[in-house]
Amino acid sequence: MRIALVMSLAWQDYRADARLSACTVLALVAVIAPLLVLFGLKFGLVGSLTERLERDPAVREVIPMGGGRFSAGFIDELARRPDVAFALPRTRQIAATADLSLPTSDQTVNVEMIPTAVGDPLLGDTLPATELDRVLLSQTAAEKLGAKPGDWLDAAFTRQFSGRAQAQRTRLQVTAVLPLEAFGRDAIFASTELLEAVEDYRDGRAVDAFGWPGDAPGANEQRVFPAFRLYARNLDDVEPLRLYFAEQHLLVSTRAQTIAQVKSLSRNLSLVFWVIATLAVVGAVAAVFASALAAVERKRRELSVLRLLGFSTGALLLFVVLQALYSGVLAVVISFVLYGLAERGLNLLFVQVPGEYASHLLIRHYCVALLAALGASALAAALGGWRVARIEASEGIRDV
Amino acid sequence: MLSLREVRKTRGEGSQRYSLVIPRLDLAAGRQLALVGPSGCGKSTLLDLLALVLSPEAAQRFDFVVDEGHVDVAGLWRDARQNRLAQLRSRQIGYVLQTGGLLGYLDVRSNIGLPRKLLGMSDDGTVERLAAQLEVAEQLGKKPQALSVGQRQRVSCARALAHNPQLLLADEPTAALDPLNALRVMQLLLGRVRAQGACCVIATHDESLAREAGLHSLRIACVQDKDGGVTATLEDER
Repeated sequence: MRIALVMSLAWQDYRADARLSACTVLALVAVIAPLLVLFGLKFGLVGSLTERLERDPAVREVIPMGGGRFSAGFIDELARRPDVAFALPRTRQIAATADLSLPTSDQTVNVEMIPTAVGDPLLGDTLPATELDRVLLSQTAAEKLGAKPGDWLDAAFTRQFSGRAQAQRTRLQVTAVLPLEAFGRDAIFASTELLEAVEDYRDGRAVDAFGWPGDAPGANEQRVFPAFRLYARNLDDVEPLRLYFAEQHLLVSTRAQTIAQVKSLSRNLSLVFWVIATLAVVGAVAAVFASALAAVERKRRELSVLRLLGFSTGALLLFVVLQALYSGVLAVVISFVLYGLAERGLNLLFVQVPGEYASHLLIRHYCVALLAALGASALAAALGGWRVARIEASEGIRDV
Repeated sequence: MLSLREVRKTRGEGSQRYSLVIPRLDLAAGRQLALVGPSGCGKSTLLDLLALVLSPEAAQRFDFVVDEGHVDVAGLWRDARQNRLAQLRSRQIGYVLQTGGLLGYLDVRSNIGLPRKLLGMSDDGTVERLAAQLEVAEQLGKKPQALSVGQRQRVSCARALAHNPQLLLADEPTAALDPLNALRVMQLLLGRVRAQGACCVIATHDESLAREAGLHSLRIACVQDKDGGVTATLEDER
């Protein structure tokens, strides 16, 4: 079989039949282009919403409600769970505050103290403070103090002891300032050791690291934490974690509801897309099938001349299938152009945040669309064109 | 090259029945035959049988002798080996159809060159040479619709000869032409056939033209049978 010859003949016949060919192409474009826009919208919208959720670690946070009594071992075990990205014990919130000031200014700011360690999702790319006298400053606190990375701060920790107000001071160096998106209130992110030291001081115990006097800690006294900071590894891990804590009779607060909403939006949009896509594709396949059937009837004489000249059955079938493929390729190209225009328009209309899309497709989506369109066209044309096998050369040649 | 014994073909039933019987026909290189007889007597049916596009319903012998040996054409039809028949047609046979049978979407050059392309033969100037000899050289770039009936007939002749077939079949190639042009086209065609050393069978209702062109005439005789059907029998040459 001379494939190149059949390709060239099919193309020349296709061109000579330009008006009918254009109709076939338009019929396919009418199916493919809206499907691309619909899928692009679904993919872009859901993708952007999901990404927004994934970018915000607060969505993955699981917060224990009410006071608990957790050992360091229990929290360590939580941190080792595969569905947990980060878990760290918190000291009592009332004991975790500090009064900060720059040595050069009188401005004092009262901040929360939040424990941090390597892997803290709130920190992003910023390295955590691992030493006792190093801290990260939230942006609002940094602005109020006028502090920047590298500055040394004076920190005062106050307590009411035996009815008298007392305070201890130390110096802390700012290693970084966290952006506003990471944390919105006045705070320092410090090592657990610093928080434990401050809690000890407020409880009247001695703190050796700073040389603060007080009661000697008991030999086998295990520290009890009232809370912890915990982040699920993925969005999908939040709901199972909530169930896990519920089983432990531990009340937690999560954003599982928000995540479920996006997931159900994605699921429902997918369902709508596939229902429409199935109907449209069935219609398109029927149209290609009918047009191949009609083409074989219409071109009976020309096809029987080719048969007379000695073209094989396969070559004639290829002739019909190739013409459907030409329509398919043209329709896909036109649809891509139309989708491109629609994508620009939609993104212009609906996108507020740079990097997010209302409508978006990946290269592999284009490839799948192309292959699916060509595959369906070829299959439908082969089914419709199968009648060429039954064309007898003698029946059509009389009146050519 | 073709050897037929007791080959039959029947179409229709009852009073609509038409049967063609070929008791004996041997075609050899260099033979130039004319099939003559009234229209409707089955000249085209016989040509289609010879062109391997119509299946015989019974045959004592229907052999095609090619370089590789005998090919049992009746057997190929029986086994529905369409692609083998197509291959034989493309290599051995050139067929000039009554109405030209040109492909409207190809220009004259591509129409004439198509049988060569199908066989993968190189472009050695044959197309231009044939077009010049059949006086359609000026029309090479045109589509068939732009040609006169006579020009189309000559293009069709050129196409049938382009791949040097052993057997050239022509169905009323000059029917649409005035007598003067008819003789000229016939002579151009036969000149090429002679030069290529091929055998040709030309169906025509014009016996005088066939005689004038120097063709050996074979008659088809029609007989009305008792059931109302018609049986046409090819004259036995012996």
